[in-house]
Amino acid sequence: MQSKGKHKLHAIKFLTGSTYIMQMERNGLEFEAGQHILLGADGDLNQREYSIYSGNNDTFLEVLIKEVDDGDVSKKLKDTKPGAFLQVEGPLGFFSLDQTLIPTHQFLFISSGTGIAPFHSMVKSHPELDYTLLHGVRYGLEGYEKDTYARNRYIQCTSGDQTGDFAGRVTDYLLKHTFDKATICYFCGNFKMIREAMDILDKKGFPHNQLHAEVYF
Amino acid sequence: MKYHIVQLGCQMNISDGERVQQVLEGMGFEATDKEEEASLLGVIACSVRQKGIDKVYNMVAKWNKWKNRKNLITFVSGCVLPADKQKFLKMFDLVFPMSQLPQLPEMISQYGIVSAASMQTLDAGLSDLVKSHDQVALNPAAFRLNPTAFKPTHVGITPQKPDERIEDFWHIAPKYGSGFEAFIPIQNGCNKFCTFCAVPYTRGREVSRPSEEILNELKHLVAKGFKSITLLGQNVNSYGLDKKGTEISFAGLLKMIGEFGQQSNEDFWVYFTSPHPRDMSDDIIEVVARYDCLAKQIHLPVQSGDDNMLVRMNRNHGMGKYREIVSTIRRLIPQATLFTDIIVGFTGETEEEFNNTMKIMGEFKYNMAYIAQYSPRPGAASSRWDDDIPQEEKKERYHLLTNEMMKHTLEYNQLLVGRTLKVLVRGNDRKKGYLSAYTEGRIVARFQCNKNEMVGKYATIKVTSAAPLSIEGVLVN
Repeated sequence: MQSKGKHKLHAIKFLTGSTYIMQMERNGLEFEAGQHILLGADGDLNQREYSIYSGNNDTFLEVLIKEVDDGDVSKKLKDTKPGAFLQVEGPLGFFSLDQTLIPTHQFLFISSGTGIAPFHSMVKSHPELDYTLLHGVRYGLEGYEKDTYARNRYIQCTSGDQTGDFAGRVTDYLLKHTFDKATICYFCGNFKMIREAMDILDKKGFPHNQLHAEVYF
Repeated sequence: MKYHIVQLGCQMNISDGERVQQVLEGMGFEATDKEEEASLLGVIACSVRQKGIDKVYNMVAKWNKWKNRKNLITFVSGCVLPADKQKFLKMFDLVFPMSQLPQLPEMISQYGIVSAASMQTLDAGLSDLVKSHDQVALNPAAFRLNPTAFKPTHVGITPQKPDERIEDFWHIAPKYGSGFEAFIPIQNGCNKFCTFCAVPYTRGREVSRPSEEILNELKHLVAKGFKSITLLGQNVNSYGLDKKGTEISFAGLLKMIGEFGQQSNEDFWVYFTSPHPRDMSDDIIEVVARYDCLAKQIHLPVQSGDDNMLVRMNRNHGMGKYREIVSTIRRLIPQATLFTDIIVGFTGETEEEFNNTMKIMGEFKYNMAYIAQYSPRPGAASSRWDDDIPQEEKKERYHLLTNEMMKHTLEYNQLLVGRTLKVLVRGNDRKKGYLSAYTEGRIVARFQCNKNEMVGKYATIKVTSAAPLSIEGVLVN
């Protein structure tokens, strides 16, 4: 059930200079892993959509935020002090797993930047998931909490250095590897990556109904 | 005392405006078409395009200048983005969301005005007006009255009530703008977050109106002889989903209306707009097929015929799903007309992607497509992306698509020539001596007739000729 309310901020954890996790009270908010919330500073008219980063079984609620240079919301949120209240509305969206497929199917999660957030939530919520997570970033240090994932399931693709598991973009990785055609694919991140990745999988013969995307702006 | 309202935007705003009028007239205000005559000036804003919001800024600047010589109250409501709302707070006397319309009399009374009549008595205080242009420029919205004579406790403040409920707004009986056509709002808000659209940020989340209230309003309209009733919502077919099983579904609502239609023996057409393909289930189409009073016209926005574009637009469905829906419509309601909305020149739309949209015009043979050239809507996600299709290219695509649509609408309309059709007469046509009407499928029709008493009634015409967007006929009865 959707709700609109105030959630007290527990802590902000910086993963890089401009990327941080905001952990706040959950206040009983029920969601499906992959969904997002509308989040803003208390009393601020502006809110933005952020995918839920925490798992369904966590007692708290987390989002992963990349500070935007000219952003109205991400800058204000970054300056919020623990104990202050945040405005939360949600959960929203349709980017979630078909639970019936979890026991029988493999999942391929394709992300760029903070687009990893919904997959973090999915993996934490469903430990039994048979998944491969591709994470496209520029530099290896942007592997946001990569230890969360089993070592053989997380593949960091770095386009700006050689420190990742694969040197190149996620799309390069997709071109060079084969996947079972029954794999269910989820994309999250910037649109350019999503479009190219979808084209590649389309050409590899993946049916459209197995491709699910959430565009980050 | 008189009021003047400027309504911008979609049917939803028109419908909202009908309720605003009811509240104002309940206070004793009288409507005027001339804004210069009004003491209460309001605008129902639309944020779909920047142009619409620019109009609001221009209007209020003009109205605030008038305050130097006249006692005026200004208000704004409707679809307003947070950033504009902040600015409007300094420019309008009242800024409120539609859900707070029931409190409008209270807000106005905080100016010391409890009725239109008492507003007239304030004219005495006009001599106390401070006519400094500098001050007006600093805070143009504020009343320049002697504070002891007049207490503007509510200047520029948005009332914030924790119990703000759109349900209360729906309890206000509207002042219908027509005696035979009406809108019934059944749902407000949007959870879909299409990247080109600002509605989720202006109207908030989806809230469904109780079905009992909807049916009561519909029965009331039918009893008054209304012939065309449109169920309105941002996502009309998401009706009931927010209630998690405590309210009937949209198909259930249509069925209830259909049953009433059968029992009432009254002749009327019920339409709905706009549905979202994601929530367009087969049972909705089955119900429309089953009941006579549910008009055989489906408006199904596609926005683009390309799967990539649909992803970028965050439509949450692909063309495969859309094709399935259209195929079900064609199978169950072969006589139904099909309308759609399309955006051309959306950010990053390639020629190939546009061509995929061109192709669906032939595939689905729409009876009408409302085609828009993309322009970023401030507040919507896509407004943060490059608007990278040149204006000339957008225009070109718009014309290509419009011409393609008209090829198919003309083909369809030509098939109607020689047929006898029931139409609802809406008023005088632009062509002298003709009346304008539409068919159940909302094909515009005209026929020679001078009898104005036919307006608001059904008539039967025999179609004699066809044009791409209309048909012409002769009156049979």
